Amino acid sequence: MAVEKYLKPEVINQIKRLDLRAQFVVKGFLHGLHASPYHGFSVEFSEHRKYSPGDNPNDIDWQVYAKTDKYYIKKFEAETNITGYLVMDLSQSMGYTYRQELSKFDYGVCLAASLAYLMISQQDPVGLITFNEKVRESLPPRSKRKQLGDVISLLSRLEPDGVTNFNHSMNQVAAMTRNRGLFMIFSDLLVDDGSIMDSLYRLKHGGHDIILFHILDEAEVTFPFNGPCIMKDPETGDELKVDADGFRKEYIQQITEFRDTLAADCQKSNIDYVPIDTSMQFDKALIEYLHSRRARF
Amino acid sequence: MVWANALVLGLGGLLVAAPVILHFLMQPKPKEHVFPALKFLRERQLTNRSRMRMQHILLLLLRCLLILLMAAALAGPTVAAGAFANYVTLGLVGISALVIGIAFAAAMFVAKKRNGLLIGILGLLLLGHLLYGGYAAYKLANSESGQLLGDSRDPVSALLIIDSSCRMSYTQDSKDSLAKAKEISSWLLEQFPSDSQVAVLATDGEPAFFSVDVGAARNRAESVEINYKGAFLPETIAAGMELFDQAIYERKEIYVLTDMTRRSWTGSDSQNILKKLENDLAISVFVFDVGQKEYQNFSLAPLRLGSEAIADGGQLELSTTIDRVGAAAQRALRLVIEKPDNSRPVIRDKQVLVPDKFWERTQTVDIRENSNANVSFQFSQKLPRGVHHGRVEIVGDDSLVVDDVRYFSIEVRDAWKVAVVCPADVNPNNYSFAVSPPRDQNIGNSLYEVTIIDQAKLSSVKLDAFQAVVLLDPEPVSDAMWVRLEQYVAQGHGLGVFLGRNALNNGVADLSFTSLAAQKLLTGTLTRPWERDRDNPDLFLSPDNLSHEIFAPFRSWEEAVAWNDFPIHAYWGMEPQEDTEGVTTQTILKYGNGHPAIINRLINNGRVLVMTTSLTESSSDRAWNDLFVGYSLPAWLLVREITNYLVQSQADHLNLSIGQTATLQNDVRKFPESYRIFTPRTKGAPAKVTTVGDQIRYRFTETPGTYRIKGDRSGPVLRGFSVNLNEAETDLTRIMPAEVDEVLGAGRYQLATEKDEIQRQQGTSRRGQEFYPLLVLLVAVIMGVEYIMANKFYS
Repeated sequence: MAVEKYLKPEVINQIKRLDLRAQFVVKGFLHGLHASPYHGFSVEFSEHRKYSPGDNPNDIDWQVYAKTDKYYIKKFEAETNITGYLVMDLSQSMGYTYRQELSKFDYGVCLAASLAYLMISQQDPVGLITFNEKVRESLPPRSKRKQLGDVISLLSRLEPDGVTNFNHSMNQVAAMTRNRGLFMIFSDLLVDDGSIMDSLYRLKHGGHDIILFHILDEAEVTFPFNGPCIMKDPETGDELKVDADGFRKEYIQQITEFRDTLAADCQKSNIDYVPIDTSMQFDKALIEYLHSRRARF
Repeated sequence: MVWANALVLGLGGLLVAAPVILHFLMQPKPKEHVFPALKFLRERQLTNRSRMRMQHILLLLLRCLLILLMAAALAGPTVAAGAFANYVTLGLVGISALVIGIAFAAAMFVAKKRNGLLIGILGLLLLGHLLYGGYAAYKLANSESGQLLGDSRDPVSALLIIDSSCRMSYTQDSKDSLAKAKEISSWLLEQFPSDSQVAVLATDGEPAFFSVDVGAARNRAESVEINYKGAFLPETIAAGMELFDQAIYERKEIYVLTDMTRRSWTGSDSQNILKKLENDLAISVFVFDVGQKEYQNFSLAPLRLGSEAIADGGQLELSTTIDRVGAAAQRALRLVIEKPDNSRPVIRDKQVLVPDKFWERTQTVDIRENSNANVSFQFSQKLPRGVHHGRVEIVGDDSLVVDDVRYFSIEVRDAWKVAVVCPADVNPNNYSFAVSPPRDQNIGNSLYEVTIIDQAKLSSVKLDAFQAVVLLDPEPVSDAMWVRLEQYVAQGHGLGVFLGRNALNNGVADLSFTSLAAQKLLTGTLTRPWERDRDNPDLFLSPDNLSHEIFAPFRSWEEAVAWNDFPIHAYWGMEPQEDTEGVTTQTILKYGNGHPAIINRLINNGRVLVMTTSLTESSSDRAWNDLFVGYSLPAWLLVREITNYLVQSQADHLNLSIGQTATLQNDVRKFPESYRIFTPRTKGAPAKVTTVGDQIRYRFTETPGTYRIKGDRSGPVLRGFSVNLNEAETDLTRIMPAEVDEVLGAGRYQLATEKDEIQRQQGTSRRGQEFYPLLVLLVAVIMGVEYIMANKFYS
C-alpha cells in the first residue's frame, strides 16, 4: 500500500524529477493491479524463457544473465508492439491551477511520463507531440530505453503558453503520422469553436486509436468561488464579472453537459474519453490506457 | 394611530437613506481569478447579472425595512384596541404583497424561461392584494377619526350600567349578583381618572344623567335596587349612549355589569347601539360578568286559579307548577290565606302592619333533575265575603327567592243571579249547565244562581232581583214586555236574547219581533230566517275580530278553535239599527257569509246581546245549529262569557302581572270615593287613589306582592289585588357570546369576570394596543432573513 500513495497527485507533486514521478506512478499502479483483472498482463510482461539455439542472441537479457549466470530471452516482445503518441496541449490554459499545487499541464505531463515509462517498459515505441496554436515539438516514437529519457527530458522542459487551436493542431498531427498508432491526447479542450470532434474524427479516420485525456482543474469542475468575482481568461485576457454563488449550479451543469456530450460523441466514434480533474489519482488514466491496449490485442 | 416618539420615526425615515448610500459606496470589491473555462460563464452572464441585481435590491430593501421597523418600534405606535386587528391584517396584506411582488419581479426579470401562467397568477394576486390593501387602508384611515389614545389618567365620560333585574338577586355564597355588581361599580368609580364624568344607570327605567361628581355617582350606584319591570340592557345602553351627546370628554367608556342571562339582553335597540359604536371608535365597552356559570333554582309558575271570584260558601281551587333547574330535590309548598282583619293594613310606628293570621296548607313534592311537578290546592274552608289575599310559596332555601312565591287575590261574593226565560217546550239545559255546571252547583262553588222561568209567567216576575235575564228561543213578546225589559236594561242590567224557531209565524218573523219596541232591544229588524242551502252548504261562526271581551278566552288559541266542526243550519236575518243617543250597536260575531251572529247593544249602563241562532236544541232535525254537539267547549265558553258580560262580572281583575294597570269598579253609591293603597314597598304614608268614572285605577304595579286598598264608608272597606312576576323574568339561561355580539358588535367590547381583567382591558383601551412587541419580533425576523441572505450573497 505504501507505493499506492504515489498515485495521489498531491504526493507525486512533491517529487521534482519527472522520471522518478513516472516510475513511482507506474509502480504504484502495478502494485495495485495485483488484485485487478489486469494481473495476467503484468505476468506476461515479466516472463522470460531460457535461451535455445536458434534464438537471436540480441534478445538475450544480459541483466538476468548477470544475476543468474544463465541465458534468458524475453518471450513476447514482438507481439506487444504498439506505437503510442503522447499529444500534449501546451496552451496557456493548461498552466492553470486553483490551489497553486499541480496545474493541468503538470498533471498531464506526469501522466504522459508515466504512460511513456509504462509503454517503454513493455517495449512499445512511444513518441511525443506538443501543440498550442499549432504543433510545437515532436519526438518520433521509439521503444528503446533511451527514448524514455528523451521524452521525459522534453516534457520537463515544456512551459504552457499561447492560445489553443485544437483543430489545426490535430490536423497537423494527423498529417505527421503514417502508421497506425495510439494517440493519447492530453488537453483541457477549452476552445471556443466547436470543432473538437471534427478533428478527432479526422484522426480516427486515419486508422488511429485515440485516448482523450480531458484534463480539467479541480476548480473548473467544482467552481469553488464565492461572492462577486472577476474571472480572467489566461489565454485571451477576457474578463467577466460574475456572482460566483449564483453561477455555481449552472456552471457545474454546463461543464457536466460539456463532458457528457464529449463522452457520448467519443463513444460513438470508438474514442476512449477519460474525464479527469487534477484531484484524481493517476491510475484512472493508466487503466484507460490498458483498456485500450488490451482491446487492440 | 398615536406615536409616542414621532421624532424617532422621522429620524428613522432619514436613516433609511443610510443602507442606500452604503449599498452604492460600499459594494464588496470583486475578487479576481484566473479562470480558463470562461466560455461556460459567458453564456449565463446576462441571467446571472439580473439575479445579482435582484438580490442586491432585495437585500437593500430588507435593510431599509429593518431600519424602518426599528425606527417604528422605537417611535412606539399605538392604536385603539378595536382597530389593532385591522392594522395587523393590513400589515400582513402588505408583507404578503411584498413577497408576491418580489416573486412577480423574479418571474418577470430573472427566471430563465418566462412562465406566462405563473406571471399572470402572480400579477393577479399582486393586484388583488394592492386593491384590498388600499381599500382596507382607506377604511382604516376614515374610521380612525375620533379615536383618542394616550395617557390612561386622562378623564373620561363613562356610563356605568347595572343590570338590576330580579335575576340579579340570585345569591351565591351569601352574596347576590347585584351586591357583586355594586361592589364592582364602587371599585370602578375609584378607578376612574379624577374629573371624569360618570352616569350610573340601572335597568329600572329611571332617566339617565351624568352625576355631578363621582360621590354622587357612588350614591346612585349604591341605591340601585332590584326591579321587576323587565327593562332590558339594550334599551338602557341605548338610552345611556344618548348621554354621550352631552359628554365633555372625547374618550368614552361604557361598563355593563350583568349576570349575562339571556333575558337581560332582549330588546330591539341593538341596531342603534351598533350604529353608534361603529361611528364612534372612541367609545370603549366593557361587560363585567357577575353571574354564575351554572345556576340552580326552584321556581313557581303562575298560579292557575279556578276563578278570581268564588261564590259565598264555595271552594277555592288553585294549582301551579314547581320547576327545578339543577339536581333532583324535595320541597314543601305552602298555601297561605290571610284571615280577614279589618284593622289592617295600618301604619304603626312608621311600619305597615298587614294581617298576620293565616290559614295554611302544605304539600311536599319530589322534583326530578331539571324537571317540574304540578301541585294543586283545594281550600274548602268557608271564606267570608270580601277580597282575600294569599300566596303559594316554596319552603326552604333557594338561590333565587323572587320566583319562590306567587300571590293571589280572590273575591268571595254572592252568586250572580240570572233568570233564564224560555217557553215551556224549550230545553234550557245547554245554557244553564254552561253557566252553572252541576259539579260547581254540588260543591256550592257556582258563581251563578240560575233561575228557570216559564215565559208565560215572565210578566209576574220581579226582574230587579236578577243581574241578567236571558230569553231562550222566545215566543212572541208583547210590546209592554219589550218596554219593561228595555227599562230593566237601562237600569244597568243585562239582557240576552237567543232567537229561534219560536219567532216564526208562517215562515216569517212574528210581528211582535219586528215592532218598534222589539227593535230597540233586538238591536235591529228581523228580516227572514236563513237556512243552509245549496248556496251556503257549510255555514259556521266566523269570528274575524276578537277584540270584544266575550272573546278574551279565545284570543290565546284563536287558530285552534275549530268553528267549522259546529255547523249552523238556520239563523235569523237581522238588519242592525244605527246608533242613537245613549244607544250604541255593534256586531261582534258574524257567520261565514258575513251576516250578524251576535249583536251587542249598550243602553245607558245596561247591556244587550242578541244571538241570531238558538242554543236550545241539539242533535235533532229541528236544531238550528250543532254548537252543543260533541266536544262543545267553544260553545260552553262562549255562553259563559256572554253571561259574564251581561252580569258585568269581569270588571275587576284581581290578579295582575308586573306593569299591568289595576282597574277596580267602584260604584260610589256602594263604596268609598277614595282609598289609601298599601303596596308591598310602602314604608311611609300610603298613596291615595280616587274614583274616576266609577273606577279606581292604579298603574304603579312594579313589585310583586299584595296591594291592599283601604277606604272608609261607615267603617273600613278593604279591597285589593295581587301582582306577580312574569315567569320569563326569572329565566336564568345564560346568553351565548354570539348573541351579545349581535347587540354590541363582535370584537367591539371586552368581557371580564375579574377586576384585574377589566383593569388590563381598561388600560389597553385607554392607552391603545401597542405595536412595540410585534415590531420587535418582526425586526428579529427581518434581521435573521437579512443575515442569511447577506451570507448567501457575500460569503
